[in-house]
Amino acid sequence: MTTPKPPPGHFTILYFASATSFTAKNVESLPAPLSLKKLFDVLEERYKGIKDSVLDHSLVTINLAYVDIPEEGEEDVIIKEGDEVAIIPPVSSG
Amino acid sequence: MTTQDQVNTPPAEGETSITLPNIYVALTDAPLDILSIMDKVRSPEAGAIVTFAGTTRNNFASKPVHSLTYTSYRPLALQTLSSIASTLFTKHSLKGIAIVHRLGTVPIGEESILIAVSSAHRKAAWLAGEEALEECKEKVEVWKREEFEDGGVWRANRDGVQGVKVEGGRNILAN
Repeated sequence: MTTPKPPPGHFTILYFASATSFTAKNVESLPAPLSLKKLFDVLEERYKGIKDSVLDHSLVTINLAYVDIPEEGEEDVIIKEGDEVAIIPPVSSG
Repeated sequence: MTTQDQVNTPPAEGETSITLPNIYVALTDAPLDILSIMDKVRSPEAGAIVTFAGTTRNNFASKPVHSLTYTSYRPLALQTLSSIASTLFTKHSLKGIAIVHRLGTVPIGEESILIAVSSAHRKAAWLAGEEALEECKEKVEVWKREEFEDGGVWRANRDGVQGVKVEGGRNILAN
């Protein structure tokens, strides 16, 4: 898909498959910067139940590279203005 | 930017592809053609071309499926396809490898994925062909939605049996 540029001070987040169904969106803009550690909490606040239903089984990419969600005590990653974040549920190609 | 009107709007981008020497990977909205993918890997140095065609089944665990739709994160899926193809090309000393996945609604019984590999001798091509499909099913960022009489399910390759049932924007685990 051709992803629109987010407005200033925002990053883009893309949803696929079950994440699209849950949010009823393919894409939206969220305020940047944002700590990657807080991403799931921010999404849970907007879409109650998404953590258990979708996020806990999904992977995350930032600018087409997979990232691990940092555990407690691990170094954080900051999602910056203009970044493209994606929620990647379990795949089913073929 | 309004997000609401982008929901469920399939991307109308035709075919997107990555071409490297002797390697071709693509995502397309059009029906797949086995001859054209064979031509991508044809080589005078090859003694074998192995092809695989994955087709859409009309049932899941005996439950009738009336349509299937594939969506993708296109740039990432192409990057992953390209990485899989490059790795296998080197590992099995292939002469050529091509992988094409169809997106959008695929009618029952039609091809959703085609893989073609060529090698000097048949053994490498058999092995690489199988490995290419397994790697794709595990990694490529494409999602299949199966529509049943009573609703739709996002299938997940890794669990094999259960998908995520979709009910009015909410998901519950199917039993």
